[in-house]
Amino acid sequence: MEPMPKQLKILNWLTIALVAAGLYLAIWYAPREAIMGEVQRVFYFHVAAGWVGALAFLVAALSGALFLIRRERRWDRVAMSSVEIGVVFTFINIVSGSIWARPIWNTWWTWDPRLVTATVMALVYLAYIMLRQSVDDPDRRARFAAVYSILGFISVPLTFLSIRIFRSIHPVVFGAGDALSSGMSSPRMQVAFFFSLLTFSFIYGTLLWHRLRLQHLSEKLEIQKMKMLSAEN
Amino acid sequence: MNPIDAPVDTLSYMVLGYAVILGCVVLYIASLALRFRHLRRELEVAEAIERDNADEANG
Repeated sequence: MEPMPKQLKILNWLTIALVAAGLYLAIWYAPREAIMGEVQRVFYFHVAAGWVGALAFLVAALSGALFLIRRERRWDRVAMSSVEIGVVFTFINIVSGSIWARPIWNTWWTWDPRLVTATVMALVYLAYIMLRQSVDDPDRRARFAAVYSILGFISVPLTFLSIRIFRSIHPVVFGAGDALSSGMSSPRMQVAFFFSLLTFSFIYGTLLWHRLRLQHLSEKLEIQKMKMLSAEN
Repeated sequence: MNPIDAPVDTLSYMVLGYAVILGCVVLYIASLALRFRHLRRELEVAEAIERDNADEANG
């Protein structure tokens, strides 16, 4: 396996620096929210985690489409890697939202449209991972997964728009009309928020690169094992 | 300030929230590292077996 590229090492350190800066902005720089108190600070990383989930599933859908068109294995690799990261960050989004909800809504969970659709989205892509593991033939696996990732993406805009389509107690951040309704009444909050989105985008990019290397290694091992099996036969 | 008007103390939930977020990211990175190490070892073993078989075949 090739050693870690220099660009990836630089990206690692850059991402760590951005995370440190993002934490500073979210925990110290942004002002304390008047009604919710300190727990509101979870909002910056909670939304950013949700953003990474949506971005990852979009990349997976696009990669799936590119695989079906070009039949190049690397697009399947990108899709698989992206979905895994997306599932992890969607889980982080849901759990951090639950922690925020406990003191504010006085409950860990409620059958709110946003919470339900986000959970369904996570389960849809968890099923993608399980689907891949159930198919042995690499070509069939890649084709099934590609179609699934495209169809599964329907859950992403549904989750985003759920608070606009259905009656929901979940706050509306984008398109709220005014800064106060979005929960970002202060310019410092907006700086912390958008910086968190940038930071998590870098986290996604870095993790995707690492995960792609892992997937490449996994496929290399699979090919090696198949060579050994055919040599025995 | 009237206690009833004071903001709710939610610091512990903030700490829990960030601990969970950062903890999950660190756990995922650790799982990537462990899987990488495991796969690399398996690949080295498989390549060694192939080399041994090739040597045996060549006699």
